[in-house]
Formats: sequence, structure tokens, C-alpha cells
Amino acid sequence: MSAEPALMSLTAVAQAIAQKRLSSREATQSCLDRIAQWQPRLNAFMAIDADEALEAADAADAALAKGGHRGALHGVPLAHKDMYYEAGKVVTCGSRIRRDFVATTTSTALRRLKDAGTIRLGTLQLAEFAYGPTGHNAHYGPVHNPWGLDRITGGSSSGSGAAVAARLTFAALGSDTGGSIRMPAHFCGVTGLKTTVGRISRAGAMPLSQSLDTVGPLARTAADCALLLGLMAGADPEDPTAATGPLPDYIAAAQQPLKGLTIGLPAAFYVDDLDPEVARILEETVAVLRREGADIIGVELPDQRQLTAACQLVLAVEATAFHKRWMIERPQDYGPQVLMRLQNGLAIPAVSYLEAMRWRGPALAAHLAAVAGVDAVIAPVAPVAAPTIAESDVGNGPDAESVIQRLTRFTRPINYLGLPSLAIPAGFTAGGLPVGMQLIGRPFDEAMLLRIGAAFQRAADFHDRVPEFG
Amino acid sequence: MADVAGVPVSADEAARIVNSIGPAFEGFAPIAGTLPFDLEPASFVQIAANSAKNTGRNTGKNIGKAAT
Repeated sequence: MSAEPALMSLTAVAQAIAQKRLSSREATQSCLDRIAQWQPRLNAFMAIDADEALEAADAADAALAKGGHRGALHGVPLAHKDMYYEAGKVVTCGSRIRRDFVATTTSTALRRLKDAGTIRLGTLQLAEFAYGPTGHNAHYGPVHNPWGLDRITGGSSSGSGAAVAARLTFAALGSDTGGSIRMPAHFCGVTGLKTTVGRISRAGAMPLSQSLDTVGPLARTAADCALLLGLMAGADPEDPTAATGPLPDYIAAAQQPLKGLTIGLPAAFYVDDLDPEVARILEETVAVLRREGADIIGVELPDQRQLTAACQLVLAVEATAFHKRWMIERPQDYGPQVLMRLQNGLAIPAVSYLEAMRWRGPALAAHLAAVAGVDAVIAPVAPVAAPTIAESDVGNGPDAESVIQRLTRFTRPINYLGLPSLAIPAGFTAGGLPVGMQLIGRPFDEAMLLRIGAAFQRAADFHDRVPEFG
Repeated sequence: MADVAGVPVSADEAARIVNSIGPAFEGFAPIAGTLPFDLEPASFVQIAANSAKNTGRNTGKNIGKAAT
């Protein structure tokens, strides 16, 4: 067992607590110690509930001593993106508008994790209303990347990426509408699972775009994501859009070998205009997958630029519709960039939006036909490693949308198609910045991605590397 | 359009909006106006669900026991 419990994986710490080799208090105190050390540098937490966490940890230990084991994550302390409603708690959504909003319900994803025994450490920073890919927040300041404090974390799940990377929490919920789990996973060197639309209930999660929003975890390993997905997925009477089909055993899937699988490598778009270090790491990742027994073949995907454009039309309109009342009543309370992006949605005709929605079916069918011969597709999450906070702080200037588009170029097509995608740490630049790759699957086939991701992590150790507090 | 929506914007903001969303319209132009009359908007949900049922390769749904 690690001398510092916070350095353990979610799976390992849950087992250690269940087997009474480690107390919940020890695990919680270890996270709180690291939070106290790192938070002033990272700004990853929105709120830290230290006393409440220790009290809950003691209760979990006492229950376990009496034979009461609540669930698979009994006594495990976690923190989540501050957009998941928890009854009686402030949920800021990263905004000034909701700075004092107290939720009256608890989100299904959060409740299922609590039912499994988790403890609340606090809440994590995010882009204002989860509408931004960099990690900037006009109200609460930027979150800093633990691999380089002058670098962005990516967003919108900025605090989740930074906190998991710095080992301040064993895992964290994020959300992904245009890349908001995969971007922080990529820039911060952690594992992030964007689920299929409908795989996890969105009840009680702050909405951004009803057609694109997905709930998912950021964690240290694919196996940890498998554990969390199994606990959260499934039908929910509170969310009629949640899928109702049977669930596979994700943990078992993550233990399967790569041998016999075929992975597609796009011939274009995802390999165009890459930073040379990202291109190198893609090649090295493919080499590892091949060495571990996977066949790698080229795939010709449909025009991804059209998917990106369609995603922008859908996202802009739906986000603006959610926010319109506040845009009228409280425009001064938005940060400049978020207000600008919300204003963009006003200029998109209803017919254009509906065409983008109607095309989703044919676009998905064309994608599935293109990948019929492979089990998953591998691609970079972004064409570059983390840029500096200064160079990406474009506010509402004329370059803002182009900066956003460049960063999310490889993530938005996947959101438009509603597909699952697992971002895994795949290497580091010469300057020490992490680079992630995404595995893209078929609808509801998260198990395949977890299988490939976990097999890769058994062969490579990038997910085990921890940023130093220098 | 912003005026009609009840959220008026300045001339500068209007110009910025055009610059911001112009690429989206350009990117979608090859699709706009080409969709067949009988295309059902919900076909996306149907195709995704059918894919989950009918995937022929080594899908995750065939791994391990069903946990329902």
C-alpha cells in the first residue's frame, strides 16, 4: 500500500477500505492534506468541506467496524464538478448568477455514487455554466495545470482534471457536451470517459445542450472509470432520455486482452496539422496497441468538418435557449466570453438548427458504415499539448471563437454523433506536458473502450505519473 | 434576429456574432437544403439503439455477465 493513500487508484483505495487495511479517515485526511498543499496553486476546488468529510469518514469507519459495508465505494472521498445538484448544497455552476443557488434535489449520478458509499470532499471548479474549453473562469479565476502552473487545464471540467491529476481526489464527475471531459483529461494527463448520450442519467445535472450533454468520470485509470460507470449507468425514471437496456459488466470488460481486436486509425482530419510531439505520441500509442495484439488499420471517415459545424449549430442554439431569460434579466452577471457565445445562438435560424438535428441520423449511419470493420477508432484529443493560460485568454475578442474551435476540433464531431470516447494519457512532450489519445466507439459500447484503455494502461505507465509539487 | 428574440445587441456585437458563427454555416453548407423530405428527426436515436443491439464485432456488450 502506498505510504500516501491519496496516491492510490480509486479501485485500490476502495478495496483497502473494504478490507480494513486503510480507514476512510486516513484516505480522506490524505486527500485533504494534498488539497491544502495544492489548492493555492491550482484553484481546482470551488468549495472544500473538510470537517464534513472527516465526520463522514469517521461514520463510514464506524459502520464498517460493525459490519456495515454500504457499497463498492464505501468511505471513499470524492469531489465533483460543481454542476451536479445535491439537495441542500450550494451549486454555483461556475457562475455569478448561481453563486448562492441551493439545490433542492440530488442528481441521479451523484446519488448513485453516494449510495455506493462515497464521501463528499467539496466541489470542483469549472468553466462558467460549463461553456468553455480552456479552464478560464471570469468569476472564479483560471484553474492551473499541475504539470505546468502557467498552462491551461482544458475545460469545461477544469477542476476535475486538475484535482485528479494532482491526486486531490480519487476521481471526479465531469460532463462532456463539446469535449469537456476529454480536453481536461488530455491536458492534465488523466483518464476521462465521455459516455454515449443516454448512457448515464442527466437528471439533476446542470443542462447546457439537451441533445449533446453527457455525464462521465475523470479518474486515474480506465479500470476506475469502469467501476464508476457501472455504478452510475442505467435507466432512471427521473430522466426519460436515459437508456433502458441491460448493462455489461464494465469491470470484467476492462480485464480483457487486446488480442483479436481491430482499431481504426483515421486517414485524415485527426492526423492533419498535429503538433509534432502529438504526432509522435500517436505513433507510439499505435505501436503499443499493435505490440499488445491489436490490429491497426486505416479508416476513411466522413467529412468531420461538417460534423463540427453541425455540432456548433446545435450547441449554440440549445445553450442560448436555456439561458435566454438570464440573458434578458442579468446580462451583466455573465463573463464576457460566455455572454458572447450565448449571443451567437441568437443569430442561428430555427431552420438551420432543425436541419442540423435532422442530419444527425444519416451522419451517424455514415460513420457506423465507415467503421464497420473496426472495434474502435483512435485519434488525438487535441492537436496540441496544453497552451499557456496567457495565450489562450482571449475573452470575447475577435479571435475567441477561432481559439475555441481549434482546441475542440477533434472532440466536437464525437459529441454531434453522440458516441462514447475514452481519453487516456498516452505520453509526454519533451517539456513535460501530458498528451492524451481518445478511443472512439460505437453507441453504448463503452465496454470496448474500457477494455482497450485498460489493456493499454497495463502496457504503459503514463497514467501512473504524478506531477511534483515543486 | 437578436431584437426579435428580445435580447438586443450592439452593432459591434452583431458584427462579432457574424464572424463567430460564419464558419459554422460555411461548414454545414454542403448539407443545408439537401436533406430528404421524409427524413425523420428521431432517426438518430433509432440508429444508435439499433447499433447497440446489432453490432457484429467484439462488442463490450458481449463481455462479462449482464448486470441489468
